[in-house]
Amino acid sequence: MSDFLSMYSVQHWLESCPQGYLVGTDYGHRPSESEPELILSDPLLREQALGTTVQLVVGERCALAASSGLINSAPDEASKRFLATQTLDEARHVEIFTQRLFDLGLKKSELESAIQQYANPNLMKFAEVLLEKVDRKDFVAGVVGQNVVLEGMAFSVFEMMYAGSQTLNPKFAHTLSGTIADERRHVGFGENRIGSLIQEFPEKKPAIERMQKEMSYYMLATFADSFRNNPAREELKKLRGSMSGYGAPKAEWHGADLNELEPEEMERLLADTVLKEFKIRLGRIGIEYQTPARP
Amino acid sequence: MERAIRDEAVDVHALEPEAFLEEVHSFEFWFHSVQGYLAGQTFGHRPDVQGAPLAPHERERLVTVLCNYCVGETAALEGASGLVSIAPNRLTKVFLATQVADEGRHLEVLLHRLGELGVPSPETEIERRASRSLLHFKRRLLELVQSRDWEAAIFAQNVILEAMEFTVFQSHARTADLVTREVLQGIVKDERRHIGFGENELGRRLQASPHIRARIGEVKKELDHWVLESFEETLREIGVPNEERPELGRNYLEVVARLGFA
Repeated sequence: MSDFLSMYSVQHWLESCPQGYLVGTDYGHRPSESEPELILSDPLLREQALGTTVQLVVGERCALAASSGLINSAPDEASKRFLATQTLDEARHVEIFTQRLFDLGLKKSELESAIQQYANPNLMKFAEVLLEKVDRKDFVAGVVGQNVVLEGMAFSVFEMMYAGSQTLNPKFAHTLSGTIADERRHVGFGENRIGSLIQEFPEKKPAIERMQKEMSYYMLATFADSFRNNPAREELKKLRGSMSGYGAPKAEWHGADLNELEPEEMERLLADTVLKEFKIRLGRIGIEYQTPARP
Repeated sequence: MERAIRDEAVDVHALEPEAFLEEVHSFEFWFHSVQGYLAGQTFGHRPDVQGAPLAPHERERLVTVLCNYCVGETAALEGASGLVSIAPNRLTKVFLATQVADEGRHLEVLLHRLGELGVPSPETEIERRASRSLLHFKRRLLELVQSRDWEAAIFAQNVILEAMEFTVFQSHARTADLVTREVLQGIVKDERRHIGFGENELGRRLQASPHIRARIGEVKKELDHWVLESFEETLREIGVPNEERPELGRNYLEVVARLGFA
């Protein structure tokens, strides 16, 4: 175990993250980049960007609370130190997505009220399920909820957003690329560290499986709310249509061109991708995937 | 504006209070601060720096001291991570997250140093050599965090513990072997930032709500005994002459006194 955990040391993190892919960035993107004029000047698109970014802030605030809260219940020093790096990663994510809200024109004094206004209630419930495990100092359930379910979801959501933003919004795409690199490390730790703990405490499996099912349901409900009730739907469609009309490259993700998909098709693609990943990752750590109800 | 500040090296203290906090509590500020002194280092020191061989009794003393530094840093890591959840706002949460990573790094470089000194199982050795007074301090600190008493916990963590570590590490670095010296000097740079945060956060709160002072004073009175006892033990182990010890104790008490706690 100690050899595997050396890959998750603070030294390794310093070399790969702050001294690696973050060098030369400012709030996660190149200093010269800014939000596209089109998003800033179109009220519907700006509203859509604000709403989406608030969900990212909410998710990252939950991840910050969970990773810092798990440090005290970690069973060994090396896991505590890895979680210390993850805590800072999550704080950075909170900061860069909050900064994006300011870049979109939100005033600092409006931040908390905007979060209250836009935060999806299903995403809040998703966070509550996880934080309840963290508060009870249940390290095994907490790491599965945080590093497999939450991070697994974030990883796919960020990848999809990255694919959709590369042409339309390079600044946001670059912001996302650093977070994707971080999430990959977090998911890797969850899978590698938890497998042996599940073997040690098999009696924890049923409660973890129930947690996964519950969190998965709230995740799907959040996706449904985001894709089905989007007031900027027509505006976005026009925008993507005009992009492909000008010969812009495809926004490819998992074999589909996101510019060509209807919102419902995007929702299905994202949900299926995340759930498939859950099944694989949970299988690797000895947890039986539980199919959630579809909202 | 933030970008311009860093690029032009404008003094952050010239900023308006709100902009100052936004700047110094950010990941970006931490990132630019540590880049300077951690670049090119491996586990807290330059890879090519070698310490002179230590006599067996010197090594023995150093191992005991480093084991107790690890106890202090574990307390700091667990305390800071617990404080994230009770921090009153986004900026203090983000700052504490940078502190959590700093404390994780301190623990790691000290454990690594123990490994370099040939300690086969540092965690077992720490348990064997941990000072009773330091363990008591740690337990009390974590109780304060657990009780969600923000002011008392931030006082115990970012004023008392950090000031104690700052004073001891700075003193030890003067006489330590080259490798240990570089490791400690890097830690001291972080501690300075942590103490600054504690003083600023608590100072503003004491100004706005003077009634907090009595409660914090009680915490100080309770913890002083354990702090000064572990102080004495460590200074003895690192070989600080008797006549210099009161001076170092005063340095520590001065930090606390800056907040009006004599």
